[in-house]
This record gives sequence, structure tokens and C-alpha cells, in this order.
Amino acid sequence: MMSRAKHGSVFTLWVACWLLFAPAAPAVENRYVLVLYSNHRLLPANLEFEAGLRETLANSTELNAEFLDYPRFDGESYSRALTRFLREKYALRPPVVLVVAGEKALDFVLRHRAELFLRVPIIHAAVLRSFLQSRPPLPADVVGVPIEFDFPGTIELALRWHPHARRLVVVTGASARDRAWEAELRGEVSRFQDRVTAEFLAGLPTDAVLKRLSELGSDTVVFTPGYFEDGVGHLFSPRDAARLMAAAAAAPVYGPFDTFIGTGIVGGSMPNFAAMGRQAGRLVNDRLAGGAPAAPRLPEMMPKAVNVDWRQIQRWGIDPSAISDDAIVRFKTPTLLEEHATATIVATVVLLVQAGLIAGLLFERRRRRRIELAVQQQRFELAHASRLAVAGELTGAIAHEINQPLGAILSNADAADFLLASGADRRDELRAILADIRQDNVRASEVIRRLRAMLAKQPVDWQPFDLNGAVRELEFVLRAEARRRKVALDLRLAATAAILLGDRVQIQQVLLNLALNAMDAANGLPEARRAVAVSVERDADRLALVVRDRGHGIAPEHLPRLFDSFFSTKPRGMGLGLSITRTLVEAHGGRIWAESSPGAGAVFRVEWPVAGGAGTAEPA
Amino acid sequence: MTTPIPLIHIVDDDESLRTALLRLLDAAGFKARGYAPVGDFLLQPPPDGPGCVLLDVRMPGPSGLDLQAALLRQGSALPVVFLTGYADVVASVQAMKAGAVDFLTKPIQREALFEALQRALARDAADRAARAQAEQLRAAFAALTPREQEVFDRVVAGQLNKQIADALGIAERTVKMQRAQLMAKLGASSAAELGRLAERLQHLPD
Repeated sequence: MMSRAKHGSVFTLWVACWLLFAPAAPAVENRYVLVLYSNHRLLPANLEFEAGLRETLANSTELNAEFLDYPRFDGESYSRALTRFLREKYALRPPVVLVVAGEKALDFVLRHRAELFLRVPIIHAAVLRSFLQSRPPLPADVVGVPIEFDFPGTIELALRWHPHARRLVVVTGASARDRAWEAELRGEVSRFQDRVTAEFLAGLPTDAVLKRLSELGSDTVVFTPGYFEDGVGHLFSPRDAARLMAAAAAAPVYGPFDTFIGTGIVGGSMPNFAAMGRQAGRLVNDRLAGGAPAAPRLPEMMPKAVNVDWRQIQRWGIDPSAISDDAIVRFKTPTLLEEHATATIVATVVLLVQAGLIAGLLFERRRRRRIELAVQQQRFELAHASRLAVAGELTGAIAHEINQPLGAILSNADAADFLLASGADRRDELRAILADIRQDNVRASEVIRRLRAMLAKQPVDWQPFDLNGAVRELEFVLRAEARRRKVALDLRLAATAAILLGDRVQIQQVLLNLALNAMDAANGLPEARRAVAVSVERDADRLALVVRDRGHGIAPEHLPRLFDSFFSTKPRGMGLGLSITRTLVEAHGGRIWAESSPGAGAVFRVEWPVAGGAGTAEPA
Repeated sequence: MTTPIPLIHIVDDDESLRTALLRLLDAAGFKARGYAPVGDFLLQPPPDGPGCVLLDVRMPGPSGLDLQAALLRQGSALPVVFLTGYADVVASVQAMKAGAVDFLTKPIQREALFEALQRALARDAADRAARAQAEQLRAAFAALTPREQEVFDRVVAGQLNKQIADALGIAERTVKMQRAQLMAKLGASSAAELGRLAERLQHLPD
């Protein structure tokens, strides 16, 4: 305890300093506001209050604060000493407005008003309504908005959020203030008798309180207004007490002050200390502006709100839907969207657009691929159709090739019939006949096999093959057709293997188309010019398939359009043969062109670059 | 004089088929001979015995149709039966116009083949008989004296003996005698028969 003498010397020193450094300040300019707090300087509620107050006051308004330090300091003599101190302290420099925070400060000022700040208007704040109602009405120049701590509302809240709770533990302290709260709470708790069993931990040592709290079961909720002093005389701020309790308790802890939020309590129905400060600040501003306080305009009471710590809601598994919409939820980690709404929305939109774009591109790619496949399929179908058309042209030649052996077989069989009917022993002859039948059968089926290979609708088969072999396989049908058309056919293969990578049947189709074209060119010409030459040529870096005729040649104006679709100079031509031929050649990485001097026939050259590594060794 | 057995000439470049046909015809009692290309057949002395030609339409070098044309130019009367691996309308029309007996598509049913060959041989035989008869007639006509031929022409032209005698400045009796002589030489018994002979003589093949 500080002695009065010491107080006096501090005061004297303070006044001396003030006289030394601030005598020039004119009294009329004095716009400072004195705040008298009931409790001590560092009480969280006071800090909150002052923050709210400062925030509301104009920057030019000077603020000074005094603290009654209740309940740590109390009693008549303290009260007297403090009055004298304040009177002397502020004698030369009285505040323009006095703000009193809390019942104790209001009570103190009103009791000592004759000696202290007689004409200074008073604004009260954070004063319980019950206190105002218990005393005579305030003088007209003492105004403020009363408050109410909502103990029953907070307990009600706790019981609503924990519907299975059967026990209510109420913790209070040992100071006079604490005892007053305890008394109030004992009265309130009786209201909940039918729902829960109440247990008071009142005025116990903190250790005992914490131990007890740590043993609580899940059917319990704790309510505490905190305390200023425990049973063994240790001093606390109610918030620190609440923090200890919340940390130790095995059950959810509720409290009535918003300063408790963040200490580990779940929440409660609370007035807001910062709001009280702001309210007081507005009244101060009014007063400084010269306006008389218009009492009817003031709210009847400071509003209360449910404050809640989201972390505790989750910790105790409280149903979030039980939290009313107007509750102030703290420590709820804002979602990305809440925290950076614009950025998040922009980012999301960008992502969505991007995703959409990617999806679109993928879709487009798939579509294109499908179309490519369809085109490829169509090209394949067209090539096949064209092959069939060519086969139609070759029908005569093919029928001849097949009917020849069939005729031989039939006649041989007929001959055998006669030999057997003759009764003579002609076994040798019969054997020869059978051998011939077999041979002709093989011959016919070979023709059919080759035709099938040429005409079958089979998927493209990409493999290396010898161009010589492919041409040789077609020789039978080319020769048959040449014979039918009375065209001399000259076939020359390359001396070395001419390996090409691709689909053999398609390349055979190229040859067939070109060769038939060449034979068409020989139509109606004298015998000497009815000649077609097919050759496979192979040199260092390319393979060529060359088809020559000795017909009328190609008119120069037709050369550029020769390979276009639906371009034809034949009376019944569809104009697809050479177009398909070029498609097939280019699909194999080659190119095709025609050379012609009118009257001297035409040369169709198909060239492919030699496949890497497939070439024969060249002389160095 | 014994009639020689008719010979069937098979012209087909396909050895296998040719052999089979030769075997079949041989076994069926025909007499046949095979030739590979058309040239082989043409290089042989022209067959004068009875028979026919079994000819493949499509062959390397000159075709069956070419051979048919050549035979006609040479005056060969051998009937032709065509064989083809593929029923080609243009070729068949051309062949039939040129007098082919038939146009058979391979593989050939033997009944069809034999029937066509029989017809060909029958036509050949008939041709031959007609030709022999004409030959005979021509020889008989050639045996007439110039005066007899003159009388013949006028008789056939419908002149009376008296008119002939006046025109030729000879006696009517002489005309009668020569008329009887030429009728005996030609084997005719009446003026009407002489007229028919004259008509046939006019239409004889060369």
C-alpha cells in the first residue's frame, strides 16, 4: 500500500513539472477531457474503452485519465486522499468534460462533486443500469448510456448450445466486486434449477479452481465473470482469470465480457467496451461542440450481442446452426473468398476461363482428331471404292484368268468320265488328268487369292515392303488386261530391292491406276503405239515408279489440273483415279507428276525419298 | 471312196485347257489337233479334210477373231466355234456376224461343246457335199462344147428350138440334137430341170 505522504510528494512533483513546462497554455484554450476509470490502468475493459473513446474524439481533444484502482484500493480514507489529490492536481487546469467509467467512478465523482470538478459536465459510461436504478436520479449535467452485463443471457446461451449439459459450474472470486457478482449470480442461477445443477466455486484459491475445472465431465458448462482476487489474495484481471480457467477446464467456459473473447472461453451475451468508449466519445464531442445533451435522444442502454470464438465452437462440437446470424463470430479463419474477395473471384474466374479454354481446346483437339480419323477413314473407303471400280474395269481380264483353269478342270473331268466309261485300262491317262486338275485348281485359287489381297477392304497396314515385289504381284492382272486390250506391256523391275515404307495394297493401287490409264491412252492407236512400259527405278536417294505410254499425250493446259478431283478428259471418267492416286502417293511421303509432249505419249513418275538406312551401300 | 474322219482344230494358247480339250474330244471319239498360237495354225498347210476350228477369242498376238477373218480371206470353209473366258458382247456379235457356229463361254459344258461341234461338223459336211455337187455340176458344164453351152444359155433363157436355130443360123434339128446331148451331159431330164441347174451354177461359190 502506498502511503499518503508518498502520494503527496508525487503530486507536488507533478505540479512543479506542469508549472515549469506548461504555464503558457491559456486556460480558455483548455479542451482536454479527463477520464476517471473505476479500475486499474491495465484492465482490458479499460483499454478497450479508451480505444473506442480515442477513436471517436477529434485529434485536437486532449485526453487524460485517472484510475480509482478499485477494487484493489477502496475505503473512505483512500477516497478522501484521492479527492484531495485530484482537486489539487486539476485546480489550475480543470477538464472541460469529465468522463467517468464504471459505477465506482460515477459514485466517487458524484459523492465528491462539491470538492471536485463542480461545474464540469459529466458523461458516464459503462455504468450498470441496476446501479443507476438503485440511487436517486442523476443531475441534469450527468449523462450517459447505461449498460447491463448479461449473466442470465450468457448462461442461457451456454445451456442452449450444450443441450446435454446437466451441471453448471460458476466461478467467482474473493474481492468485494467478485463477491457482488457472486451474489448476483446466485440469484440468477436459481432460474436454471430445473435444468441444471449449479455448483459455485466462489473465493477459492486459483489452483483449486483450476484443478476442479480440469476434472469436469462432458455434461458440464462453466460460467465465470472472472475475478479480481482469488481466495488466497492473488490479484488478477478478470480476463487473466478467465484465461487460466479456460485453459484448464475440461468443459466449455462462458463469460459475460467481450474482453474474454480470445482467452479460450466459448463466448457469451456481452456489451461491447469499445462501443461504450465510442458512445462516450460522441457525447464528449457534443458537449465540446457546445450542444446541450439531449437526454431523450440517448439510447436507453448499450446494446448487447452474442460474441463467440469460432475455434471454441469447433473444439466443443457446437452446432454452428445454433449460432444466431447477428452473433459476432471471432477467430473464424476467413475463407480465401472472404479475405481476398476480389482477388479470389478474379483468380477463380481466370481459372474457370482457363479451364474452360483448356477444356475447349481439348474438345476441339478431340473433334479435330475425330474428323481426321473420319477423313482418313473416308479416304480409305474412297481408295477401296476406287480399287473396286478398277476391279470392275478388269473384270474381263480377271474372268479370263479364272475361267481358263476352270475350263481346263471341267474338260479334264469330262474326259476322265469318258475314259472310265470306255472300260479300257487308261490309268496313266487318268493320273495325268488328275494331276492337271489339281494344278489348274491351284492356279484358279491363286488368282482369287491375289485378287482378294488387292481388293479386300483391310485396314491400312504400314510396313516396309519391296516395290519390286508389289509390282510383280500385280503382273498377272496387268498382263491379262494388256492382252485383253491388245497392248504390249513391258515390265522392268529395279536390280536391287526397292524398300518402301507403307501400305503395299495402296501402292499397288497407284500402279494399277497409272497402268490402266496408260492402257486407256493406247486405245484406238495403231499396234506399234499400243505399248505401256512400267518400271521400278532405284538410285542413291530415291525410288521411282514410272509408267509410260505412247498415246496422244496430255494437252499442256490439262497438265496442272491432272490430279484434281473430278477432272477428267475421258468421256466416262469420274476424275477420281488420279486424285486418289496422288492422295495415296502423298500419304506415303512421295510425289507424283506427269510429263508429256503432245503426240509422244505421257510419263507418270512417282518418286519417294529412300527410307533412311534402307538404302544399299553406295560406292564411297 | 471312204470319207475321212473330221478333224477338230483347237487353237488356244492356254496349254492346260488345250490339253484338257484334246483329251476330252479324244475320249469322246473326236479327232482333234491342238495349236498354241494362231500363227501355228496358219503355218500348217491349210487343212482340206473335213473338220472345224475350236478357237479361243483372246490370245496374245493375233486373236481368234483375226484368225477367223484370215480363214475367210483364205477361202477356208472350216466352220468356227469360239471359246471365250469372258462373255464379251462386242466380240461375240462380231464373231457370229462373221459366220461363227457358236460362241461358248469357258468353262464349257461338254454337252454344249459336243452339240456345237456336231453342228459345226454337220455344217462342214453339208458345205462339203454342196461343194462337191457344185464341183460336179461345174465339171459337167465345163464338158459341154461351146455350141452346146450357147444352146444351153438360150434354152435356159426360155427360147424355143426354132428361135435358137434361127439365131444361131443352124437347123432346128441340129438344135434339138445338141439340146438332147447337153441334157444328157448335165443329167437333166427336162427344160425346167435345166433352169434349176442354171440357177445353181450362177450361185456357186468360187
